[in-house]
Amino acid sequence: MASAGVQAPRDGIPWVKWLMRLLVIGYLFFLVAWPTSLVAKNTFANGFQGISDALDDPDVVHALQLSGQVAVAAVLINLLFGVGVSLLLVRFDFPGKRILNALIDVPLAVSPVVVGLALVLVYNGRYGWFGPWLEDNGLQVVFAKPGMIMATAFVALPLVIREVVPVLEEMGDDQEQAARSLGANAWQTFRRVTLPGIKWAIVYGVVLSLARSLGEFGAVKVVAGNVGGETTTAPVLVQQKYQNFQQETAYSVAFMLAFAAVLCLIVVALLRPKEAKK
Amino acid sequence: MSIEVRNVTKKFGDFVALEDVTVSLPTGQLTALLGPSGGGKSTLLRIIAGLDTADEGTINIEGTEATHLPARKRNVGFVFQHYAVFKHMTVAKNVAFGLEIRKRPKDEIAHRVDELLRLVHLQQFAHRLPSQLSGGQRQRMALARALAVEPKVLLLDEPFGALDAKVRKELREWLRRLHDEVHVTTVFVTHDQEEALEVSDEIVVINEGRVEQIGSPDDLYDRPANDFVMGFLGEVTTVNGHKVRPHDVDISTTPILAGAAQGTISRILRVGFQVRVNVLTDAGEEVAVELTKSHANALELDEGITVWVSPTPGSVARMEKVG
Repeated sequence: MASAGVQAPRDGIPWVKWLMRLLVIGYLFFLVAWPTSLVAKNTFANGFQGISDALDDPDVVHALQLSGQVAVAAVLINLLFGVGVSLLLVRFDFPGKRILNALIDVPLAVSPVVVGLALVLVYNGRYGWFGPWLEDNGLQVVFAKPGMIMATAFVALPLVIREVVPVLEEMGDDQEQAARSLGANAWQTFRRVTLPGIKWAIVYGVVLSLARSLGEFGAVKVVAGNVGGETTTAPVLVQQKYQNFQQETAYSVAFMLAFAAVLCLIVVALLRPKEAKK
Repeated sequence: MSIEVRNVTKKFGDFVALEDVTVSLPTGQLTALLGPSGGGKSTLLRIIAGLDTADEGTINIEGTEATHLPARKRNVGFVFQHYAVFKHMTVAKNVAFGLEIRKRPKDEIAHRVDELLRLVHLQQFAHRLPSQLSGGQRQRMALARALAVEPKVLLLDEPFGALDAKVRKELREWLRRLHDEVHVTTVFVTHDQEEALEVSDEIVVINEGRVEQIGSPDDLYDRPANDFVMGFLGEVTTVNGHKVRPHDVDISTTPILAGAAQGTISRILRVGFQVRVNVLTDAGEEVAVELTKSHANALELDEGITVWVSPTPGSVARMEKVG
């Protein structure tokens, strides 16, 4: 860190301090930096040949497009739902609030594969709860895009809420009460007062959700099934290509996924200081 | 009568915040709701504004039945203790908020905002954000924002409570002058009896969810309805079984006062221009006396000497309850 050199002297034994730093840096290096950089290294072993080869493969292009569509749809759903639930949790009191609060963290705790299986049980076309009825009405959920969007939305569900809730709590409802006393209705109060207050939290939550949604593997793989490549998303494709000994394509797609995620995190890092200054 | 509160009761769980409160607040006046913290005065104000709802009872504002009206339709200006400024809007935008909600023409809004900012002496801060203002300036901005919509009544919830003593004193004098200019019916909540006595036309004393007394500052100070009001409006001491204020006790070094109690000075404390003397009477009462420094010097008071104390003729005194 750049600031380490100019830090004021603190109590503590110097070698312990250095050992601790070494430990943290080593941990991050062996767990995160080294493996990720090896993916990049393998991707660019032959310059940009790997990437351009991969982008010539229609399967890869289709998978990337599908991943993008599913991720954006899931993020939009989580954005609307997340802001609504956050308002509900912070501004209103109702029986069962604590249970709802705990339920929101379930997607973080449960394995995505379980999420996928659960969705298949409820929505599959033959013996699911709603599946047959939906299919009769022309909407196939499982083994199709709607199911994949649902699975992705489920997995990324807490991210927007957990960003927005603390900001809403800290903001308090003073400003909203003031707006009401000045004649604003619920929608005007939300749009003119609440929304500007939680704007950065929403942006942060959306970016995190997007990164998470792009990379979702387990839940989507179970729900998508294997319909001749039609429902193969980018992470699933990486696994398939890797197992079919097309390592170079696998590395290239993996790199693109990692790059997109890192890009999201960089956007977040750039947004954070702005938020702190406010 | 501008605001009619009838038989209002409000409970938070087991806690009774207001118990069968009935008050009439007159049009065009500056009324203080005075009482100790947790006594229910803020709750009453919030119920008048529609920010809380009463469990029982009715609210009538300027002849309009308001009990079931939402806050936004009551046309009430509300000023919060912690300002509740819109943090992301400039000072001018804050003040314009209510007018923009009402979809007034742009030039009318600009004109009115300018007028109001002049009124609260913030015209040079129009384009600043609230975070760049001091506490006193923020509260003046909040006041301008509340006045912008030309409310029928202006309600202030401990408006100066979060400010330091000097600014608080300045602002309350300013509020009084402002009220004399604008003449909008104003109700403000305070736990500071000096603030209430200095600023208001009428004071409603509220304690433990009930109205203890309603009257002008002089009424309350000179004719307190009960011991609580007397004690809350200022210090009280007991001489010969009479409850009086310490500055209403005469003290002399010779027994010239008829019916005076004899005692010895146990303590003398000088605070600025004032001298506080504690006298232990032979009857066993501990009497507190307040007098000016020059008066005390003239009497050559000292700890341990014998003095005679009695209530000043013409002062307010209440008989102490026996038993």
